Formats: sequence, structure tokens, C-alpha cells
Amino acid sequence: MDTIDILTTIVKEFPYALWGSILVGTICSFLGVYIVAKRVVFFGAVLTQVSVLGLAATFLPFIMIPHTIGSLVVTLVFAVPLSRLLTGKKIPRDAVLGTVFVTAIAARLLILQKAPKVETAEIDNILRGDILFVTPDLFLLMAGAFVVAMVIHLLFFKEFIYISFDAETARTQGFRADRWEMLFYVIASGVISFATHMVGDIYVFGFLVIPPVAAMLLTRRVKRIFLISTLIGIFSPVVGLFLAFTFDLPSSPAIVAVAFAVLVIAWTVHSFRER
Amino acid sequence: MTTLIEFRKATLGYGRKVVLRDISFTILDGDYFGLVGPNGAGKTTILRAILGGLKPLNGEVVLHPGNNRPLTFGYVPQRDSIDEILPYTVEEVVAMGRYRGIGLLRRVSAADRQAVARALEHVAIGNLRDRPFKDLSGGQKQRALIARALASDPQILILDEPTNGMDLSSRISILDLIKQLHDDDALTIIMVSHLLDDVANHVQRIALVEPGVFLVGDVDKVLTGANLSAMYHLPVRVDHLHGSTVILTGGGHGHH
Repeated sequence: MDTIDILTTIVKEFPYALWGSILVGTICSFLGVYIVAKRVVFFGAVLTQVSVLGLAATFLPFIMIPHTIGSLVVTLVFAVPLSRLLTGKKIPRDAVLGTVFVTAIAARLLILQKAPKVETAEIDNILRGDILFVTPDLFLLMAGAFVVAMVIHLLFFKEFIYISFDAETARTQGFRADRWEMLFYVIASGVISFATHMVGDIYVFGFLVIPPVAAMLLTRRVKRIFLISTLIGIFSPVVGLFLAFTFDLPSSPAIVAVAFAVLVIAWTVHSFRER
Repeated sequence: MTTLIEFRKATLGYGRKVVLRDISFTILDGDYFGLVGPNGAGKTTILRAILGGLKPLNGEVVLHPGNNRPLTFGYVPQRDSIDEILPYTVEEVVAMGRYRGIGLLRRVSAADRQAVARALEHVAIGNLRDRPFKDLSGGQKQRALIARALASDPQILILDEPTNGMDLSSRISILDLIKQLHDDDALTIIMVSHLLDDVANHVQRIALVEPGVFLVGDVDKVLTGANLSAMYHLPVRVDHLHGSTVILTGGGHGHH
């Protein structure tokens, strides 16, 4: 197949894979700027594991709810106390994240051990995220989360950047920094929950970190960092899916690899500029 | 002078932990007030109570509105409390001082940008408006943060350790700027510092803060060798040299 044939096949045969991966890439790259700026990069990895824990819980015989809802509920339940612990000063942030990370994995293993209807392969597939077989329902849920997250962030852009830059002073001006922080983490958790189910943990964690870092290397203006990071989140899935089809590669790792290649280019450009 | 802030037998603390007990003092309109004491003594606790972030466990902290409007504060935090990972420009940082007035769902207007430009010119860094905040020197950052506080058009300017970690020339420059804001703009100033020299030679009234000790009054009366010796548990002398107050420790050989 030539390039046009491959692109046509992707668009016609796997439209939800294409648009779904772009949606996830876009929103994760955007939210990732805040996550990198807040120095809670591990938050993405933790939430993906919490999300998978929620998925695993739905395999228990007495829990009769869809995987997506289970994942969302558990992720949101974790997000609220997590946001309080991350903004507090009593326990170091990495200790909070490390504790939740390992606990989520341990709980998942315990649940799977006791879930008779579970098939290891099924969980593995969900964990990896099977982009090519994204369902219309899941795509719509993700699109809804995308719209809600983007609208809230664009409407309250100045509040979110103020809190992330200097929460202490924002508080003296009457901004409820803890509530804004919680809103951010709840939105990010909802997005991560749907996105993990849709494209897998490697993809989600990768796009919460790699495009923001690449953008920070390419520009020294905050709004441009958001813009460039988001553009990388759109560009990488398209190229990654094309490469996955062309060379018969797994799609999520191929897309993350493209994002990493962009990061290497950004770092090279940055290094030349700094000379 | 009009009273702006009044602590009435206020006991301050967190949960069951009392930091300061039964303190009473006032901040007057036009004051240049210094809060001095060792680290952990309760200076920041007092600031939080003034700024409304901490309710007293007992007693009252009363803010007296002036000119038919609520008391407004411009807060200048310690520089190291700011996360500089994103390269905000100086103009963007100063514009944050306008956010409260702008309100939710509204963007920075042309009038806000003019107010930001005025604040930058006022602290003599108008030429730095497009520079990333993170690239500025310590003194320039402090000026930018003061500009941000001024951009909110405050009645009271509160500065938390404004000269901490600065070289001598930057320290003097910032202290001169604060004095200018007090003298020329008639701003009420509250300055927290653990640098006694800074406070001794600039503020009009002072509070010495330590757990169990809270002394407040004019600088000359409160900042005495006896009081400082008791506070720091070592011999401290307060001398005057060429019109400046000098704090000496250890029998007069060391400079605090």
C-alpha cells in the first residue's frame, strides 16, 4: 500500500482510532503543561494505575457496572483526597504519589485474583489500550470529557495559571486556591480515566509529559507552550498511526515514539539556540 | 491617624497548637510597620490573620474599611514561594495583580494593561515587561512582585522578607523603593523580616514576635539591647552610628 492508501484506510476503516487518539493526544498534552508546571508528573502515571484499578473492580462478580463507569468512579474517588494531599505540605508529594501508585497496583492484583470472570488477556488489552478498536460509545464519552475539560480550562485560564504560579498570593486575593486545585485534579482525573480505557496507560502518561516538555524547550512564552504542546498532541497520533500501519507496529507505542522523536528534535533545537 | 487593623486579645494558632496568645495591637493608616522575630516565631501567622487566611482561636482581628470600601491588600510573598518553571513574562506576572478586579470569565482589558504598565514604571522596571520573570535578578524579581501588588491598587502593602537573600546594593535599592512607596504614595506598609538592620532603619513602629513574647511600639522604644538579648538568648547591643541604628551581637564584635 502506498501512503495515500494507508491514510485512506485509517480514515475510512478506523475513524474512531484516528480521532480518538487525536482527542486524547490533544487534551493530555494541554493538561500536561499544568502537570509538568506543578511538578507532579508522576500524577499521570498514578492516575492511570488508579483508573485500571477501577476497571479491574468491575470484573468482580458483585459489581455490575460498565468498565468505563467503574474506572471513572474509582479515579474520581481517589482524585479528591489526592488533590488535598498534593497541595498540602505535611507529606512530600512524591511520597503521596508513590503510595497511591503502589497501592493501586496491589489492589488491582488482589481483585484480579478474586475475580472469577476475569480473563488476564482482557485486562491486559484494556491496560495497553487498543486504539484500533475504540468503540463509538467510548469515543463519545472521551469527546464529552474533552469538551468539558477544554471549555473549563479556556474559561478559567487566568485562574488556573495564577494558582499554579503563586497560590499563596492568589489566596490573599480571595481565590480559593484549594478549590481551583481540586477542580483541576478532578478534571484531569476524569480525562485520564476515559483516556486510559481508550488508549492505554503508556499513551496517556506519555502525552501528559513528553509534549509539554518539548514545547517548553521550543518557546519561552507560556501561551505558546500550551499551543505547541497541543499541536504535538495532534501531530504525533496521526504520524504514529501511519507508521504503525506501515510497519505493522503496535499503535500506542508507535505514537509515543513519535512524540519522543519530536522531543529529541526540540531538545536539539534548544541546544543550538543556547549556544 | 485612623486605625486600619486591630488585634484584640487575639490568640493565633493552628488546631490545638497556639502560636501567639492574647496579642493586642493596631496598624494605623500610613503606618510603616515591621514584624520581626526568629524563624517560626509567628510572623507569618500574624500575616495570615491579617489577610483573612487564619481565624483567631480566641479574641478578634478587626479590619476597618476605609473610604467606604473594604480594606485592600497588596501582598508580596517571599520570592522562593513562587514556582518559576513556566516562563511568564514580567507583564504577565504583574497582570496577575489585576485578576481579582477582573473577575471570573473575563479577560485582561486594555485598562488593566495600562494599570500594569503604570505599576511597572512606578517601580522602574518598565523596560523589563517582555522579559521572562524567571530570568530576572533577585532585586528585579522583587520589584516585579511589588509592581504586581501595586497593580491591585491596595491600601496596605504587605511584604514578606522582601530583602531575603539579596546582595547589599539590591537590598538598599528595594528598601529605598519601599520607603518611597510609603513616603510619596502614602501607602500603609507592613514588612516582615528577620533582618534586624533592615527593619531598625526603615520602619516607624515594630512588633517583636516570639512565642511567649510580643512587644509592640515605636522602634526606638522596642528595639533595645535588653529586648533583643532576651529574644535571641545572646548579648545584643543597639548602637547609633552616623544616624543609623546598628545591631551588634556577642559583646559588640559581631554584626547581626
